[in-house]
Amino acid sequence: MGMTYVPTTLSEALHLRAEKGARPLAGGSDMMVQSKRGIALAPEFPYPVMIITSIDELRGIRVLDDGSVEIGALTTAAEIAASEDVPWHVRMAASGMGAIALRNSATIGGNIGNASPKGDLPQPLIMLDASVVLSSIHGERRMLLDDFILGSKRTALSDDEIIRSVIIPPHDFTYSFYRKIGMRKANAISKLSLSAAALVKDGEILDFRASSGAAGPKVIRSQDAEKMLEGHMVSEIPELLPAFLEAWNNAISPHAMPLYRRNTTKRMLSFFLSEISSGAEEGIIGGGEE
Amino acid sequence: MLSEIVFYVNDSKVSFIGDPLTRLIDVLREDLHLTGVKEGCGEGECGACSVLKDGKLVTSCIIPVGAVSGSRIYTIEGIRDTEKGRCIIDAFAEGGAVQCGFCIPGMVMAAYALLSSNPHPTETEIRKGISGNICRCTGYDLIVESIRLASEKGGDLWA
Ligand SMILES: Cc1cc2nc3c(=O)[nH]c(=O)nc-3n(C[C@H](O)[C@H](O)[C@H](O)COP(=O)(O)OP(=O)(O)OC[C@H]3O[C@@H](n4cnc5c(N)ncnc54)[C@H](O)[C@@H]3O)c2cc1C
Ligand code: FES
Ligand code: FES
Repeated sequence: MGMTYVPTTLSEALHLRAEKGARPLAGGSDMMVQSKRGIALAPEFPYPVMIITSIDELRGIRVLDDGSVEIGALTTAAEIAASEDVPWHVRMAASGMGAIALRNSATIGGNIGNASPKGDLPQPLIMLDASVVLSSIHGERRMLLDDFILGSKRTALSDDEIIRSVIIPPHDFTYSFYRKIGMRKANAISKLSLSAAALVKDGEILDFRASSGAAGPKVIRSQDAEKMLEGHMVSEIPELLPAFLEAWNNAISPHAMPLYRRNTTKRMLSFFLSEISSGAEEGIIGGGEE
Repeated sequence: MLSEIVFYVNDSKVSFIGDPLTRLIDVLREDLHLTGVKEGCGEGECGACSVLKDGKLVTSCIIPVGAVSGSRIYTIEGIRDTEKGRCIIDAFAEGGAVQCGFCIPGMVMAAYALLSSNPHPTETEIRKGISGNICRCTGYDLIVESIRLASEKGGDLWA
């Protein structure tokens, strides 16, 4: 059993991380559950732990000069869901996490740090090309979230680093779609989720993106498939759709997703694209939480 | 670095010295004898251990005491004699919301958090507000109805 520390500044935490190998505990909604021992017993961890919730530098949501949005690692799902500054897809994903008490505890840093394929936040964040800011006593580095999450429960976090924040670059979409299909139970974890978005100007698709979560070890996004639509006119969508769906399907590793989920994903994507090609009104297409 | 965790429970100051990973529920029940806080699942799923932390509903079984430094915690014992607390508890009695009672402290805390941020919730909003609270007895309808009653009867109390 390791020691437990409660640092109050980032610099203290970074030293504890480097010198004692302490692992961060934020909301605790993954760690406390995974290591629970029962009534009146504190959870035990085989490594030193630091409870980081008293570090104010890791809190808050701010808009940067270039229009990017920076979300501090300790920001909760409830705070994300309530913030006008956070992009719509991410707010939707945050508001669909667990029930209200869970959303008041669960942090974005924990959701990413845990790297569970069932985690709801990486999916829209990866679609939006979000990156993570990693701090250590040696400084800071920034990497794409898609590169940071290596696989199920595996990240590129170094032994001396902690996640400081998540940065979402600015974007402009004409059409947006988000849907999470889970069990009909509030604290259910997502079984399948899809984000999609398109920027259309004068009938031309300037930007198209989609990502799917809880589908395999990692969030699925296929830039190859996306490129098949970009630069084309919305009127060409019906012709392009079969090849696009095929390319998307191929991006999913063979054993990652059972057939019914593949089919549901394809159905949602073709619904979104058909709505666009039939001249749907700008904004949010269908979608939402089920 | 904190070696002592200082926070407030039902308006009393508490200083905790010990393992910061101690679950908040254990500090509330074992050290402070606030046994209105119930433990059902111990994993954040059932809501029986719900308390307010700085005005927000949280499940005290998954929060280590080291995470509540400086916070204001309220349990059922801290709200039951307030006007708002009474309003909800009376409505639960009047609406027949209580059977075995195990889930009720958590339900009352969830109702309190809901009505404090949304004085006149729709039925869907009420169901969402208590969706993290499991009741094995009532089938929820009478609880939902009682929360609606508390919203109506409380009037300006919640505004
Ligand atoms: C009842 C229940 C329902 C749930 N429902 C959902 C759901 O619907 N959707 C969903 O996505 N998840 C769900 N979860 C899982 C969990 O709540 C989320 O993954 C949450 O975002 C974890 O955040 P946390 O702050 O509580 O993490 P913690 O448990 O504190 O930490 C999780 C991991 O992240 C690491 N970590 C935390 N912060 C940092 C940091 N700043 N830098 C580096 N590493 C860090 C920790 O070391 C640990 O490995 C649920 C959990 C419960 C108990
Ligand atoms: S005992 Fe805490 S949520 Fe069930
Ligand atoms: S009244 Fe028995 S669990 Fe709700």
